[in-house]
Amino acid sequence: MSVGALAAAPQTELLPDPAPGRAVTWLAIRQIRRGGLIVAGLGGGMTALVVATYAQVMADPAAAGGLQALAGNPAIRTLFGAPVGLDTAGGFTVWRVGTVMAVLLGVWSILAVTRITRGEEDAGRWDLLLSGRPAMRTVLIRHMAAVMTVAAATGAAIAAALLAAGTEPAGALLHGAGTGLLGMFFVAVAGSTAQIFPARPAATGSAVAVLAVGLLARMIGDGVAALGWLHWLSPFGLLALSGPYVHNRFLPLVLLAAVTGLITVAALVAAGRRDVQGGLIPAAAGRPPRTRLLASVETFAIRRTLRPLTGWMLGVGAYYLLIGLTAVSITDFLNDNPALAGEAAQAGFDGLGSIAGFAATLFAILALPAGGFTAVRMSAFTGAETDRRLTLLASQPVTRLRLIAAETAVTAAAAAVLVTGAGLLTWAGVTAAGGEFGVAAALRGVWNVLPIVLLSLGAAVFGVGWAPRWTGLIGSLPGVGGFLLLVLAESVAAPGWVHDVSPFAHLAPVPLTGPDPAASAAMLAAAVVLAVAGVGGYRRRDLRS
Amino acid sequence: MTDLALCAVDLTKRYGRLTALDTLNLDVPAGEVFGFLGPNGAGKSTTIRLFLGLARPTAGRAEVFGIGAADVGHAHRQLAYVPADVALWPNLTGAEILHLQARTGPGIDVAYRDDLVERFALDPSKPARTYSTGNRQKVALIAAFATRARLLVLDEPTSGLDPLMEREFRTAVRHARDRGQTVFLSSHQLAEVEAVCDRVGILRAGRLAEVSTIGELRALHRSEVTISYTGAAPDLSSIPGVEAVQPAGDRRLRFTLAGEPGPALRALAAAEVAALTVREPSLEEIFLDYYGTEEVR
Repeated sequence: MSVGALAAAPQTELLPDPAPGRAVTWLAIRQIRRGGLIVAGLGGGMTALVVATYAQVMADPAAAGGLQALAGNPAIRTLFGAPVGLDTAGGFTVWRVGTVMAVLLGVWSILAVTRITRGEEDAGRWDLLLSGRPAMRTVLIRHMAAVMTVAAATGAAIAAALLAAGTEPAGALLHGAGTGLLGMFFVAVAGSTAQIFPARPAATGSAVAVLAVGLLARMIGDGVAALGWLHWLSPFGLLALSGPYVHNRFLPLVLLAAVTGLITVAALVAAGRRDVQGGLIPAAAGRPPRTRLLASVETFAIRRTLRPLTGWMLGVGAYYLLIGLTAVSITDFLNDNPALAGEAAQAGFDGLGSIAGFAATLFAILALPAGGFTAVRMSAFTGAETDRRLTLLASQPVTRLRLIAAETAVTAAAAAVLVTGAGLLTWAGVTAAGGEFGVAAALRGVWNVLPIVLLSLGAAVFGVGWAPRWTGLIGSLPGVGGFLLLVLAESVAAPGWVHDVSPFAHLAPVPLTGPDPAASAAMLAAAVVLAVAGVGGYRRRDLRS
Repeated sequence: MTDLALCAVDLTKRYGRLTALDTLNLDVPAGEVFGFLGPNGAGKSTTIRLFLGLARPTAGRAEVFGIGAADVGHAHRQLAYVPADVALWPNLTGAEILHLQARTGPGIDVAYRDDLVERFALDPSKPARTYSTGNRQKVALIAAFATRARLLVLDEPTSGLDPLMEREFRTAVRHARDRGQTVFLSSHQLAEVEAVCDRVGILRAGRLAEVSTIGELRALHRSEVTISYTGAAPDLSSIPGVEAVQPAGDRRLRFTLAGEPGPALRALAAAEVAALTVREPSLEEIFLDYYGTEEVR
């Protein structure tokens, strides 16, 4: 037997792709590009619009004076951030939209990171991805880097808008860099919580809790001089300490960058030490069955809502308790300075001299989180449909009408609990601080925003029926969208009808005045029309699974 | 009520330009165990989703015991379903999901359910997120088999089960048939279908290619036989069921055999067979063999 020489292997190229990591980056980008563009666009757009209105506001001495007066008040400092440098267009813009944009970017970063990392892993899709050449750490850092790029782009868009408006370059760059770094910080935080917890809701919830605590720490630091050091413990506080256009300090941002780097490294270390589909905290090994609220579709909807409701209640409740606690100080301040109260009224902060007026302005923005809650819950409902969790339930003798009606009714009830809780906590805060504020007035005030909340829910139900992929966005339009529209319309002096499209333009300042029954009825009617149309669509369409 | 468990009349489903299911006409009588075969993408799951009202037909109609599939409030009282790819609520334990399914479903036999949990060796105390594919499938199977629904719709229910569990599955299907339940079983596994089904339908590229009894299917079922012999070369040319005879080396022969093996064995006796191997062809081979490689849409 002879051993023949094998012919040389044919030269067909079977070389592996030299850069498998690049494919992972593209995968990450594909999953966040739409939301990323919206966030970066909003950042640049809102900043550009507000910086353009500066001259207009300052041209009116009454408006300018009113703003300046309010700026010194502890309660206003607590709520809107320290208004430093209102004498420049840049400083004014930072105060007006800086915190809003930072919160928006932070929340989006958290949701994006946990969705494309822990969410994909939970769904089992990372099993396939990680069976390829890229290691867990490579995959994680590339996903986090993709979201960090969006944060950086948002920061760049903000800086560009400020530079284009001709504001001082140092301040513009500092504010842009600060906002971008804050987004990156929350990318790192969410990347870490996604390693710690073996489930997406827990990872998202704990990262959002970090954001809420950070925001509260800054608020308390702003409001209580003795606790000013709290700024150093909060990313929002560090942003405030950098003082764009006023102090132009880089040190706080260097600290924020260093902490972000550390947390990112910690996330990567943790990622290398855990099992795929596992977390540093192991999943519960087993437990006796808890069959409460598992008897019907309706009670099961309640059961699925209880935990998220608790989380939202904690966050929203903490904010409104703080408002209640500080309400007395601002009203006393304004009552001691009648001239300031007048100026405040001229500046658009009408009736702030009374607790009722102060509460009414702040109850109006309760429609944002409560409306957002309904959008998120209905979005979770379509999520359960998309990843087929709903299939077993949908194959039971349960009509589509009953499925969506149960979810909608429970979400509406939960939103009502949320706003009622906010009202009661405001009342408790005012009472604890020694103020005069009736519990009935508080409840009338918070219940007054329910039409906008239900309008959000109606829009979300419409989304479930006709555009399930867009449920969250459509549901956010009346609340968050309407509020942003109003802010922008006022800032750029848009025509009246643009202003009137926003539901907030029709919201009466309850409990300062009585409710506006016609406006409330119109909003409720619109909510019902949207919900009925949505249910109709849901009954007709195919389930997505 | 009619005695047809499932009835499709000109049932058609199009997704844009793609025709997933093309004018399907199918009757499944009550009490039958019906196997539903077809390659991936043939439209099996689409058919099932239409019968369950999870998807709406583009044309035609689907009925469950004479009730329109869209009327799920009534139609689903007659059936229990196991999806192809079972997804469960990750925070609920197996026991909690079984409880939820029992309370929202058409009524169950609790003792039998507990028996099934034992037999399928499911640990129901674990949260669903920790279950493997097979365990998720077990939860759905137990929930479905424990119901007293008149029809069980099972979509590739054993793809994640090990051979022991597959045996339990076949036993459970037989028990269901003995109780008078109708079983509609979509599967890739010919052996499983052969073991439990009375009749099979074969779907190909969105069209029903064949509906036949299991006996007729066995006729399709051709084995590949390889022998080595020490005597004279056997003449197999006129033996019924033997085809594609070809030499496979020195004193070796390979051929395909369908139907009764008796005549072929008698013909081989004279050749003094030294070794004999029989390889059963895969379902894929039978499909390719029987239907050719026609364009899949």
